[in-house]
Amino acid sequence: MGSYQHAQDNWFAAFIIVFIAAAVLINIWRARAGKQLYIRRIPGLDAIDEAIGRSTELGRPVTMIPGLTAFGVEAVQALTIFKYITKQIARFATPMRLLTANPTVYAVAQEAISDAYNEAGRPDLYDPDSIRFLSSEQFAFASGVAGLLQRERVAANFMFGIFFAESLIFAETGNIVGAVQIAGTVSFTQVPFFVAACDYTIIGDEFYATSAYISREPVLLGSMVGQDLAKLAFGSLVVGGAVLSTILGPNHPVIQLLGKPGGWEPFMQWLSQVLGRG
Amino acid sequence: MFDTRENIWAAFWMIGAAILIFALIPLLQTLPPRGRYLLIAFVTFIAGLFFAAEFFLPVDEKTGKNFLTDPFQRLQGSLQVITALSLGLGTYGLIRLHLRNAVQRRAQWGYSIVLLVSFVTMAFFSVWNTLAEKGLLGVQRTPLLERAFTLLFDYTLVQLDATMFSLIAFYIFSAAYRAFRIRSVEASILMFTAMIVMIGIVPLGKFISDSIGLPIMMTDEMRTNPFALETILYSLRLPEVANWILNVLNAPVQRAIEFGVGIGALAMAIRLWLSLERGIT
Repeated sequence: MGSYQHAQDNWFAAFIIVFIAAAVLINIWRARAGKQLYIRRIPGLDAIDEAIGRSTELGRPVTMIPGLTAFGVEAVQALTIFKYITKQIARFATPMRLLTANPTVYAVAQEAISDAYNEAGRPDLYDPDSIRFLSSEQFAFASGVAGLLQRERVAANFMFGIFFAESLIFAETGNIVGAVQIAGTVSFTQVPFFVAACDYTIIGDEFYATSAYISREPVLLGSMVGQDLAKLAFGSLVVGGAVLSTILGPNHPVIQLLGKPGGWEPFMQWLSQVLGRG
Repeated sequence: MFDTRENIWAAFWMIGAAILIFALIPLLQTLPPRGRYLLIAFVTFIAGLFFAAEFFLPVDEKTGKNFLTDPFQRLQGSLQVITALSLGLGTYGLIRLHLRNAVQRRAQWGYSIVLLVSFVTMAFFSVWNTLAEKGLLGVQRTPLLERAFTLLFDYTLVQLDATMFSLIAFYIFSAAYRAFRIRSVEASILMFTAMIVMIGIVPLGKFISDSIGLPIMMTDEMRTNPFALETILYSLRLPEVANWILNVLNAPVQRAIEFGVGIGALAMAIRLWLSLERGIT
């Protein structure tokens, strides 16, 4: 077994984690207390309903692909979005396919999609065969998805999750069959491919904003505000660190604290010296 | 199978955990929705607390461990067991779907037959090979196994994988064509920048820079005088410009996205830990 990271390795990083957690929780509490919070428009998410409408008109299926996402926070987020899409689909009885490469995601997706049909009041439309585990091998999965997109001539293709080299195979195949495509990923190396081949692309932390945007739940909106505060703090740290590094030099204890693992101890020694002198 | 005391204990732990899980299922079904939610939230919180405590508690300087590190490692191993179990579930779902397709002669049922035959053949030779490799159940390697395994895995599966990967090259062409069509100011900037990077990182960039007489090397004198004409001309070499675009313009944007993603993931993890995320739970 390899060694694991601990807070003791870099107390400053641990402090940042606690700060982000506090920012998120305090804003969730504020949102729950009734504070009105604003979230900016994300065109890709507004287009979800439009894409579903097109599928319904054409009578062709909607596909949802969580990529090679293992079961974790990305998978939960992707399935949350797919659950919302399924609820919309259930209103119009549009056929859907959810294709996964991870067996754990497959098991959870079955429950989530079944719940979505129940919540939409159409449990009769739920077909367990519409959620498919194709293969855990990257390119076997890619060929399975590409084949299904071609054979079923899908009208809308939603790709949310973690993607690798197979992303372009999905996006280009969807483009060839004329599907409206909306992709959202945290894998920034795949973003250019999605931008080139999809109608809308949701990048970076917008992916995590999706559930808040769709549901408008106070808890999620509060969390978003907390995330933004944390980003602001990070931005300030980057700018402040650059200025201080220029003035103090890269080996100063303050710079070591900000930018180097194990920078806590030299900083504390320096601080005690400064305070001792004072 | 288990030849050490530790493995036997690990097996007992896993069996115990399985019994506990199966005992919890009827309990969950008898509880009212509110009670069910509270029980799940409690278990989730305790599990999350375990991981958080392992990270935040001080560790021994010599071993780099605290008292939760060893159980933490075992727990990670048990997560693999869960994944392996769910792989069986996924495979079952796949076989069930294609068996139905074949039996009920649904549309394109021929593909299902191909899948089922391929699945059984690959699984048969894979299991046979594993047993022979590990010398289990007295299974030996035979010429038939050698030939079939090579044919199926090395000459078929690996080649099919490579074929799918190679397809990406053609898809990149068509995607790049659409991305680089000059339709707006932004698309024009994208096209221009991409051209510089593409030419700059291949030998053509060096050839063009050399041909128009730009300095070939950065000398010590140029390093000490960044505003000299020679230094400025050197920095206009296409490989240098391409590197500058990648390292100075592109890298900070990628890092900024990574910051956002990291914060988003942490916020999501906190919501899941405290059962505040109600999307699929």
